[in-house]
Amino acid sequence: MGLIAVIYAAIGALWILFSDRAVFYLVHDPQTQVIFNTAKGWVYVGVTALLLHLFIRRSTAGLRRLDEEIKATFESLFDGVLVLDADGAVVEANQAAVQLAGVAQKEELLQSASAFAQRFQLSRPDGTQVSLQDLLKVQVAPGKSGGRQVSLRRADGGLRWIDVASAPLAGGDVNAPKLSLVVMRDVSEQKRFEEMRDDFLSVAAHEFKTPLAVIKAYAQLLEKRGAGPAPILQVINRQVDRLTRMVQQLLQVSRLRLGDAGLRREPFDLEEMVQGVVGRMRRMVDRHRLVVELGPAVPVEADRERLEQVLVNLIDNAVRFSPEGGDIEAAVAQDGAEAVVSVRDHGVGIPSERQAHVFEPFYRAHAGTSRDYGGLAVGLDISREIVARHGGRIWFESAPGRGSTFFFALPLSQGARRVH
Amino acid sequence: MSTDGRQVLVVEDDRDLVALMEMVLTDAGYRVATACDGVEALARVAEEMPGVILLDMRMPGMNGWEFAREFRERYGRKAPLVVVTAAENARRRAEEIGAEAWLEKPFDLEDVLAAVSSQLAKG
Repeated sequence: MGLIAVIYAAIGALWILFSDRAVFYLVHDPQTQVIFNTAKGWVYVGVTALLLHLFIRRSTAGLRRLDEEIKATFESLFDGVLVLDADGAVVEANQAAVQLAGVAQKEELLQSASAFAQRFQLSRPDGTQVSLQDLLKVQVAPGKSGGRQVSLRRADGGLRWIDVASAPLAGGDVNAPKLSLVVMRDVSEQKRFEEMRDDFLSVAAHEFKTPLAVIKAYAQLLEKRGAGPAPILQVINRQVDRLTRMVQQLLQVSRLRLGDAGLRREPFDLEEMVQGVVGRMRRMVDRHRLVVELGPAVPVEADRERLEQVLVNLIDNAVRFSPEGGDIEAAVAQDGAEAVVSVRDHGVGIPSERQAHVFEPFYRAHAGTSRDYGGLAVGLDISREIVARHGGRIWFESAPGRGSTFFFALPLSQGARRVH
Repeated sequence: MSTDGRQVLVVEDDRDLVALMEMVLTDAGYRVATACDGVEALARVAEEMPGVILLDMRMPGMNGWEFAREFRERYGRKAPLVVVTAAENARRRAEEIGAEAWLEKPFDLEDVLAAVSSQLAKG
């Protein structure tokens, strides 16, 4: 545009400077000169008008095409998109949004924020109502899908789960934009799949563990009644325990791999949890002595069952990788704002060149050596994932031939942090 | 072994496990009643209020949750419930239905006996 104006101005200036002079040299009769000058003026006006006309026609066609392209893109999106004004009222919606809400036409969606929330009963997973304006607080981060899940009641009464994200549109500042976009992705199918998965995993747990329970209990009954050789029955018992732990790990890894992020946090004393787990595991080991170093209560707010899994995995490893037996020491300590749990063994340790990989799933630090002690090699991967989801960390120190100590640290619960 | 004659009700759908529990508890001197689902368990309870109920959660027909709700509604806390489950979150399951204790499958027989005797001792 700017360039065109400059060229136009330059040509205009040259015309003004040289056209009069050209007429003066070409035509000598003053009368005719006047006629030529008038005609020249008209030609100038005519040509400029024509150019202006062509130019305007071309640029509006361009704008119209751009507008159509944007509209086509907007309408062809799979995600429902609402455009909201500064008051949160819906001023525009695409076809996907219309389909998602199950209404007949777009106009039914163009309502005030509160009317929209009421009609479509937007609510959070815990059932509380949520408004469109609340949804605006969920900003879209590049490369991150999904902000918050809400449910939406369709016009036909069906319930849909949607992942909501929003972004401010140009105009006004970022905090109070004139227009905002709300993008709604239908995740109902995914949600249904998650429920099916949970059902499947709980059926699988039941189906695998019931026969294990029967075998274990009968072996113990025979031993109790003195009806069979105790050492043999104890082997059955131990192997059932081993199989049970593997089934548990498989279920855990499926849950984590399939993205079950839900932690069920509750306040409890970590010290007491460690004692409980060690107490239960004592009966499963015969050549090792499990020792708990007692200390003061360590309050945390965490998913107790998941953390018990972590500790079981660490103790299980400690037992397996110290085949000569010996002490396995579990301890809980407070370190600043953290609770640190450690499990120490005096076993084979981890070869230094393999230490970097021990938290990888399916990695066996002792593969191909005489010290491959079996197991699924997923315990540490699961443990790291669980600890990470608590905002904690997991690490180890190991000396080949002298044993390993595994640690995990969690934030202390709020109340405890204030005291210390 | 003193067991003060009160009955232990085993609610479990796996026949082998029911048979086992019966043997173990009988060996230990308890009187045992069994039921393979919630409906049958309610019938047993109606015949005689047991001293403790060992309750499997996942059963065909009326499951453990439904039985627990029904039992609490009709009889309150007349008998303690001990949840016996293969689910990963046995402790939470027990809390959900307000059970007095829980055992995770596979269990140790010693734990079953300990749970039964401690619940009977409380009553």
